[in-house]
Amino acid sequence: MVKALERAGFNVVHMCNLIPVSMTVGANRIVPTISIPYPLGDPNTPKEEQWKLRYHRVGVALDAIATDVTEQTVFKVRI
Amino acid sequence: MKLKIGNIPVKDVVLGSQDGFENGVLTINKQAAIDYLMELDDHITSLDIVIAHPGDDTRIVPVIETIEPRYRVDGRTLFPGVTDEVVPAGDGELKALKGCCVTVVGGTWGSFGDGVIDMGGEGAKHTYWSKLINICLVGETDEEFERYEQQKCNHALRWAGHRLAEYLGKIAKGVAAESFEEFEFEPVADRAKKNNGLPNVALVMQPQSQMEALGYNDLWYGWDMNKYLPTFVSPTEVLDGAMISGSFMPASSKWSTYEMQNFPTIKELFEEDGKSLNFVGVIMSMLNVALDQKERAAIMVRSMALNLGVDYAIVTEEGYGNPDADYVRCQVILEDAGIPVVGISNECTGRDGFSQPLVTLDSKMNALVSSGNVSELSDLPACATVIGCLEAMNRDGMSGSWGYDEILGKSARDDGSIIMEDNNWFCGDHISGFSVKTMREF
Amino acid sequence: MKKVICYVNQFFGGIGGEDKADQEPYIVEGVVGPTMAINAALKDAEVTHTVVCGDNFMGSNTEEALSRIMGFLEDKEMDLFIAGPAFQAGRYGVACGNVCKAVKEKFGVPVLTSMNGENPGADMFKKDVIIFKGGTGAVKMRQDVKVLTKFANKLLAGEPNLGCEAEGYFERGCRHEVFLEDIRENTAAYRGVQMLKKKMAGEPYQTELIIPEKDLVPIAPAIDLKDAVIALVTTSGCVPVENPDRIQSASATRWGRYSIKDMDRLEAGVFKTIHAGYDPAAGNADPNVLVPLDAVRAYEKEGKFKRLHDYFYTTVGTGTTEAEATRMAEEMIPYLQEDGVNAIILGST
Repeated sequence: MVKALERAGFNVVHMCNLIPVSMTVGANRIVPTISIPYPLGDPNTPKEEQWKLRYHRVGVALDAIATDVTEQTVFKVRI
Repeated sequence: MKLKIGNIPVKDVVLGSQDGFENGVLTINKQAAIDYLMELDDHITSLDIVIAHPGDDTRIVPVIETIEPRYRVDGRTLFPGVTDEVVPAGDGELKALKGCCVTVVGGTWGSFGDGVIDMGGEGAKHTYWSKLINICLVGETDEEFERYEQQKCNHALRWAGHRLAEYLGKIAKGVAAESFEEFEFEPVADRAKKNNGLPNVALVMQPQSQMEALGYNDLWYGWDMNKYLPTFVSPTEVLDGAMISGSFMPASSKWSTYEMQNFPTIKELFEEDGKSLNFVGVIMSMLNVALDQKERAAIMVRSMALNLGVDYAIVTEEGYGNPDADYVRCQVILEDAGIPVVGISNECTGRDGFSQPLVTLDSKMNALVSSGNVSELSDLPACATVIGCLEAMNRDGMSGSWGYDEILGKSARDDGSIIMEDNNWFCGDHISGFSVKTMREF
Repeated sequence: MKKVICYVNQFFGGIGGEDKADQEPYIVEGVVGPTMAINAALKDAEVTHTVVCGDNFMGSNTEEALSRIMGFLEDKEMDLFIAGPAFQAGRYGVACGNVCKAVKEKFGVPVLTSMNGENPGADMFKKDVIIFKGGTGAVKMRQDVKVLTKFANKLLAGEPNLGCEAEGYFERGCRHEVFLEDIRENTAAYRGVQMLKKKMAGEPYQTELIIPEKDLVPIAPAIDLKDAVIALVTTSGCVPVENPDRIQSASATRWGRYSIKDMDRLEAGVFKTIHAGYDPAAGNADPNVLVPLDAVRAYEKEGKFKRLHDYFYTTVGTGTTEAEATRMAEEMIPYLQEDGVNAIILGST
């Protein structure tokens, strides 16, 4: 899916937990999420923590769209 | 540790007025067995025992579990931490009723991990179970909290199955075994390869543990393997009931408890032990979903392998899809540590055969055994007898079957014929090692 | 008697060489040139017609040529279509590939051709069409026809295909399972331990899964966020609670697009996940952990990017084949393009 969309000319940022899978399927811009069942907010943490994490990682994804890369790149996240 | 398994071939299983074992025929007093099982778990609302023989025109669905009936000569429980207290497993003597299995069947309700067994016809080639006498334990429960859930723990029925396996084993306790298998696992530190110059080989097992919620995963001495880290274990513990199967994972990729009790890859490694290799045991890992969990498990497997002096390894996973990431990572980290690997698993190449076979790929994996393709379609005629409930395939989200498809229709058709993916054969890809399937380029 | 229709170029059609390469397509009854040999080798089948077309005409007017050929075939009965053999002739090889692919797609009958590995047509079409490994030139005609018709006879008789290696055609990346004889030596356990023994001894062994080379797409250039029209796509199975498009919970072949216009977040009870591959509790309790609409909206309001597309696109990733995923993505593309979307945040579970 990533490749089909990028091949059509879209700038695709892939947000996922399993970076090796993302690398294998050929995503070029990758932002890690925290898990499979809850990619962007751990239900065992308070709502504010979940929001902070989600807001941060979506921000990284937006910045990734605006960043030129020369190879498959995993963008660093802080929280 | 030394495990001796006395094999008692079972020629037939019949239902009768009194339990007994004579001339290879196991007789079960059905009502007594049912009363015993219902007494132990008041969540069971009804039970039946039905015998299905190889070659019968019978379809069994939804199959939840298969277990080999056995008796432990020293009186310890068959499945520590499951059927009774947590006690050591892996040494001592067992009697095993060969040629049959307890098959746990949902009377009405199925779930994601449940599968299909065909005893005869074309469908019989798809599972090992079709070659055994299936002692089907068909039941209903009052587990209302999961009645309409796609993922079910199926606790009451699964535990009843393990108890029945133990109950049936006891019927044969006085019967002399016809042959013996001995699995002697010498302490690793006492048998360095300098003694015989043979390379040290470990088996890395990756049992299913993906559900964060407890009650769905494989158990190790009764412990949910989602909350577990890789451990060095004796292969005889695996063969002796230390581990039981769970309820999560598309059926064809599962290892049932019967497969753990008879794990073919462990048996083949014992065959070679002292001849071409030193079998230095099992590194029992798991298959959690998050990347850091996968990485941590791979690191711990690597450390154990290095510190045990493992020279070569076989890695095998109970699953496909997300678990492939663990399967691949574990092989790569071992290869990088100088420990060459053979991997054993199935593939998912899609109905057209053109999809990527594993979800991650790495060219360092250069020795792989493929035990089947979860996405092949099976289209089979009706069977004269159905044990369980065919409609579960349409209704309950069983993996590899469906209630609606604009081209293929529903999986269980009104005339009793079925169409489904390989995914839905119970343990059909027999990753444990029973599989006689492979993959080929077409 | 089964019916086979063949395709040859102007040279093998007996009209002439390079000077006749502009020949427009035509169809004749019965055999022409090499299709005579094909006909002779077929069992219980005959070549009823042969299509002839000049290589240059096909090369420079491909669509026109194919459409005319499809027109010739429309009213003909056909159980199998055979093109070539094309050996190392590049234009002819590509023509055979094009014609075979079109016939397969339009009429759904099996198609076969043969060419040399150096022929560019081999790489271009081996995935779509069964292409037998052929010789470098016409001196190999007899041999190439023999291999190809042997398989054609099998196919027409309904006998099993033994796989590309045994049959002699190019590998296509098409993998299916096969059952071996039910003996211990064929079990996965035995095969695994024997493979390990060979690997330990440094002896040759055959892996059952050769890892293919990675196929990457060109990297899209960065976009100035002031111009970014962003769409959210997810494989998490997040759908409106009634799952109106009946997307399957595994091995999905269906997808949906749902309006998020004027929504600041995805509310629990309005959206849920139907994905069977993971524990749905967290996603159902707060769908924004799957599709981060709340955070994306916050950035939109801050003016970090131009605007968010009014729909999110969703399917289920587990067990979904690459071919299906690609098809679904391609079906989404026109909707995205129509609204001027230029960037996508794709969330996977």
